[in-house]
Amino acid sequence: MALARLLFVTGKGGTGKSTVAAALADALSHKRPTVLADLDPRMSAAAILLGAPPPGGPATRISPTLEVVGLTARAELEAFMRRIVPVAAISRRMLKSRTFGYVTAALPGLEAFLLLERLRIMAGNAALEDRQVVVDAPASGSALELLAVAHGVTGIAPAGSLNRIAHSVESFVRDPARFGVILTVTPEELAIREARELTTALREHLGVATVAAIMNRTPAALFTKAELDAIAALRAHHNLAVRREHERAAAHRARREFTRAGVPMIELATMYRPAMGRAEIAELGGALAAGLPS
Amino acid sequence: MNRLELSGYRLAICLGPGGVGKTTLSATLAIGAAVSGRAVDMMTVDPAPRLLDALGLDGDAAEPREVKLDSVPRASDAVRHGRLRALRLDPKATFDAIVRRHAATPAVAEAILAGRIYRNLASAFAGVADYMAMEKLLELAAEPTTDLVVLDTPPTAEALDFLNAPRRLIELLGSRAVGLLGARRGTRMVDMAARAILAAFDRVTGLKLLADVQAFVGGFDGMYEGFAERATRASAMLRENATAVIVVTTAEAGRIVQAREFIAALGDAELRVRAVIVNRVMPELPDAAEIERARIPIALKRKLRRNLEDYRALKTRELISFDTLRAAMPADAALMVAPELEHEPRSLADLAQIGARIHRA
Repeated sequence: MALARLLFVTGKGGTGKSTVAAALADALSHKRPTVLADLDPRMSAAAILLGAPPPGGPATRISPTLEVVGLTARAELEAFMRRIVPVAAISRRMLKSRTFGYVTAALPGLEAFLLLERLRIMAGNAALEDRQVVVDAPASGSALELLAVAHGVTGIAPAGSLNRIAHSVESFVRDPARFGVILTVTPEELAIREARELTTALREHLGVATVAAIMNRTPAALFTKAELDAIAALRAHHNLAVRREHERAAAHRARREFTRAGVPMIELATMYRPAMGRAEIAELGGALAAGLPS
Repeated sequence: MNRLELSGYRLAICLGPGGVGKTTLSATLAIGAAVSGRAVDMMTVDPAPRLLDALGLDGDAAEPREVKLDSVPRASDAVRHGRLRALRLDPKATFDAIVRRHAATPAVAEAILAGRIYRNLASAFAGVADYMAMEKLLELAAEPTTDLVVLDTPPTAEALDFLNAPRRLIELLGSRAVGLLGARRGTRMVDMAARAILAAFDRVTGLKLLADVQAFVGGFDGMYEGFAERATRASAMLRENATAVIVVTTAEAGRIVQAREFIAALGDAELRVRAVIVNRVMPELPDAAEIERARIPIALKRKLRRNLEDYRALKTRELISFDTLRAAMPADAALMVAPELEHEPRSLADLAQIGARIHRA
């Protein structure tokens, strides 16, 4: 099966979402033009990893086929107002009104919803021009809320343009050809459990497909059980070796669990380097590209 | 003093980027103070299930519950255990309680609670959760038998989202917009422009907001003064000398960037950062010479050397992070290290152990 047009990278905080999103966008950009959409453009961790200065404007070009775009909820709200209120003077006036500001803030995720609508449009345009979109999304809890927001909007806006958009956004996130979640996880009990729960919640509550779980920072196996026993006397070295094999084993168990749940798992090796730079990102990207359908 | 000492403080607030272990460290600090004999309340916001278990809390512990400290050894200088109570913030329930307490009549309260705007405001607008944490904090701090309140904060991208919640509420309540919608006491004039705008919005979106907004704002008539007064008090409490603002991070490069932004933002807001704790720091690495001395096969020695080298690279990464962080430290704040445990914390004893290992960088 072909890769979803838009890949939404999320995971528990600290599991390497930005690293994976950057590596994935980098790898995919060798096949076709790719846009990396950063939903937290102020921090722009992914762009920094790709060697770009933090984007001052809305977009930073990394290479001829790779571009990083920062998306903000506020900009989406403004764009939406311009679309539904064609008379510029009136839409400007609406945006300036503080009352309106409070009302939109009080509405459940109107801004988040518009962000999703933006992603839908990006995926649509990307399909027309055979481009790929990768999203550096918020951490899993917020991501789930974000993806659930379209359904909430159909509830509060039973008719009108918001309702129509909500329906198209809902079918967008349910369409595996257009939308797929990439889940980052690290070989730790808690992160693995949270990732498994998230794949279930995505599938059962939202009808969203998880393309793959990315087991980030998986150590390469080094010691056998017998060897660990043989170095028991070297306490500190033994602990360090056990630590490595523990993580290795956790990744192994997680693979079985994800596979049973129908989610392919791709392991990314721990980068034993003093810093993460462009070369490390390219290396991780290579491993990702090899594991994903093209 | 090597340890993080909270003895002079009445309030400790843990702030930091998501996924760094804020809740774990809040619990650790609360337990540490309780086993040195103080009466401590801790409020968590979004605890992991395992941490809830460790603290003996369940899903709806919205009021403080006693945490049994029997499994934790007493601090060496303490005559006896103090006490520890923990609660989990429920923003919606807290807001509901405030509305019920302050609405003019029970019927008005129920009307507000049932309104669409209110229901959405209370559950979806992140700022409300922040403000409710502040409300609950004022309530806990007012308790005369409590020596110290430890507050874990909601995960936010920006430190000030949380700390500015009282100020934002004052601003909202004092704003022209609210008055012009005809709700604030004394001003009954409705801003025709605001109405026209909402009506236009209703037409295109199909939301029918105008009536709801007016009902919502109208329902709060007479409650604003109380809100504003408490928000002002909360804002002042955050800046008292007896309040310790603690920034929590991990040594991961991305988190360090965020932690630095937190520190800068806190400084700008004139909130004094007392300590920055780097959580889950790798243990010191063993000596390479031990490998050479050991009587084990050459091949195994080679593997041990490689393993040590691998972890050295990661340790170097950590040290670079510490240097970056050091350059951003506020003048009188302590840079502390919380070493990682061999496993994820599962019990009060594990949490206490983290506390015992926290030391100055």
